[in-house]
Amino acid sequence: MRVTANTFPNSLLNQLNSLSQRQNKLQNQAATGQLVQLPEDDPVAMRRVLDMQAEAKSVGQYQRNIARHQELADASFNSIKSLKKVSDRVRNISISADGLKSQEELNLYAKEVTELIKTAVQAANTKNRGDYLFSGTLSDQPPFVMATDANGNVTGVTYQGNTTLAESEIATGITLSAQNVGENSSGSGPRGLIADSRVGADFFNHLIAFQNNLLAGDTAAIEATDRVNLGQDEENFLYHLGTNGAIQSRLEATDAMAANRTDTLEVLVSNETDADLAQTLVRLNQTQTAYQAALQSAGKILGSSLLDYLR
Amino acid sequence: MLGLFGTLSLANRSLQTQRNGTEVAGHNLANVNTKGYSRQRVGIETSLTVPSDMGPQGTGADAVGIYQLRDALIDRQIVNETSVRGAYESRQRALQFGQAALGQQIDRQATGAEGAAAASGVGGQHGIAEDMSALFSAMQSLSTSPTSVSERQVLVIKAQSLATQFNQVSTRLDTLRTSLSDSLASDVEQANIALADIAKLNEQIVAAELGTTGKANDLRDIRQTRIEDLAKLVRIETTANSNGSVDIAVDGVALVSGPNLDDTLETYDAGGGQFLVRTATGGTALNIAGGSMQGTIDARDTDLLAMQTQIDTLASTLISEVNAVHAGGYGLTGTTGEDFFTGTDASDIAMNAALVNSPSMIQASGVAGAVGDNSVMVQMAQLADKAHAGLTNQTFLESYGQSVAALGQALNGTNTQLANQQIVESMLLRQRDAVSGVSLDEEMTDLIKFQRGFEASAKLITTIDEMLETVMNLKR
Repeated sequence: MRVTANTFPNSLLNQLNSLSQRQNKLQNQAATGQLVQLPEDDPVAMRRVLDMQAEAKSVGQYQRNIARHQELADASFNSIKSLKKVSDRVRNISISADGLKSQEELNLYAKEVTELIKTAVQAANTKNRGDYLFSGTLSDQPPFVMATDANGNVTGVTYQGNTTLAESEIATGITLSAQNVGENSSGSGPRGLIADSRVGADFFNHLIAFQNNLLAGDTAAIEATDRVNLGQDEENFLYHLGTNGAIQSRLEATDAMAANRTDTLEVLVSNETDADLAQTLVRLNQTQTAYQAALQSAGKILGSSLLDYLR
Repeated sequence: MLGLFGTLSLANRSLQTQRNGTEVAGHNLANVNTKGYSRQRVGIETSLTVPSDMGPQGTGADAVGIYQLRDALIDRQIVNETSVRGAYESRQRALQFGQAALGQQIDRQATGAEGAAAASGVGGQHGIAEDMSALFSAMQSLSTSPTSVSERQVLVIKAQSLATQFNQVSTRLDTLRTSLSDSLASDVEQANIALADIAKLNEQIVAAELGTTGKANDLRDIRQTRIEDLAKLVRIETTANSNGSVDIAVDGVALVSGPNLDDTLETYDAGGGQFLVRTATGGTALNIAGGSMQGTIDARDTDLLAMQTQIDTLASTLISEVNAVHAGGYGLTGTTGEDFFTGTDASDIAMNAALVNSPSMIQASGVAGAVGDNSVMVQMAQLADKAHAGLTNQTFLESYGQSVAALGQALNGTNTQLANQQIVESMLLRQRDAVSGVSLDEEMTDLIKFQRGFEASAKLITTIDEMLETVMNLKR
């Protein structure tokens, strides 16, 4: 092929241009550590990475949801524990308050039971972040309202929450609630913490009856009914403590699964987008060498022509 | 027999011929860097013979013409390939703008307030994808704390941010398509100037060549350059005429015939702001098959339009789906029936101003009066994982990912095609350079050759002069 005055400069320009482009690309890959950055780099990988990043973000959000559920479960657990303490003490009193006790002593017991009822109502009206824990989804209202008579004895405790729980997602399509409703006398739905018609639990009313029996000195009724009733309430608290533990461990397991999934996604995204640094740097080096060689050889060729040898 | 005087005149012509040679070599050297210049050679032929006793006798040499070294086949191919490259280049440029308008990229080092994913190592995404994920995350967060006003505020901010992102992308794509139409108009303007130039050059070439055997080499070079300029803008058909002029047609419609400019190009609105090209006088709509005009029209009316439509569909599906769920819920104060988003597509999507002013109106609860209920917010958050019929049974993010990938695919394909085309074109240009390019070495040796020839011819004159003197001195 005939080589003319402009053949060298033109092809040199093309070569330098393509080498510069390659250097720029490799430098960019080395600096960012990414093979794929823009959609044009690798549209298919881009699509997969977008999907995986979206999944990673939603998994991250599920982990935040789980943390929130754990917080609620912890708060509920503390309240249930307080209620269980009350229940334990009342059971002791119900055993101590037998026919051998004087009315004086029974009155003292009654006084203690009244105070215990107030403690229990307080525990059942616990708030977390401004929301009442046990009033179902009517979380802006205290679940239990207590009425007392002139003597300071508790005459009634009424539930003003509902029997619905706000469940939210802990994984795609899987919802749960770590909370409990205060009462459920409907025979279906979540089990009531204080009262549930299905298991015969009705803590506050049983306490009030017990208080009244103590005041009336009716130790026979205490033995015959109150002990049995309070036993059912204790069973109910134990059930809730157990459920709370089960939910907590389920939350932990789900959180661990989510963390695993995030790790897996990280590897997958890395496979799609990350540059092999060693390979990139070696190629960058090669390209730089080629660039320098092009400049050097061109400098020699372009500088010389027949003119150098004519006088 | 030429005789001494005949030989003297032979020497004289020889001087002229050699001088012509140096002149042409000088012209070549002067134009070594001129764009579109093709080297010229002086044609030297032996002069007419004269009859003599020895048979026909030579009478020296004459310069008979200056020829251009051009390969018509290569020229033609270059004109064609220039159109192809013009189309790819303008398409690439338009799609790169589109990619920039989308602002979607993967950033593995991304950090930020919502950097939980970044911290765990999968990186950020920027663009609509990032904001879309953030919106649904905020809905999830609110579903775990339905009464929290701060979570509601976060949701408002995320929704506004997504809406703004949609608005911006929509505006950018709109502006891009308008400016592509502007760039089409400017291409048409340039093409018209080139067409007028070619007609004018045709006229000059025909006039210059009329009655001579030689060719108007330099005018033809200029015309060829102008034809290639034109071909870069729009694919043309050229027909060479015997009188030296070249006819130009686009899509079969003659625009230049000989010295006449038959028609020019103009853009017209084919409806809905879709500007296309037609002939100005004849009004014939042209199907542009190549050149930057075609690349611009193609990118504007296929990939970018599709992108815009998909983003609009995505926004309108988001609006309708989210609103449908939200409308059935109840706010903290018992309000119901409010829309979450207002607007109809990506250009005007916005968060309902009433909810922005009072986030407690966000209808997270599914039961009137139960503020702790979150069923509506859970459903809204779950829309993220739902396949929507309006988005060809894909989720919001999948649909968006597909749009991004489609644009990426188009740009990636164009990049490859353009790279291939550049290889083809540079090979053709190298071939043309091999035929037509000026070589300094050649021209320098030519100069030496003609200089020596000139010296030799001059020597002939001195020799004849001495011989004449000898003849004169025969008689004393």
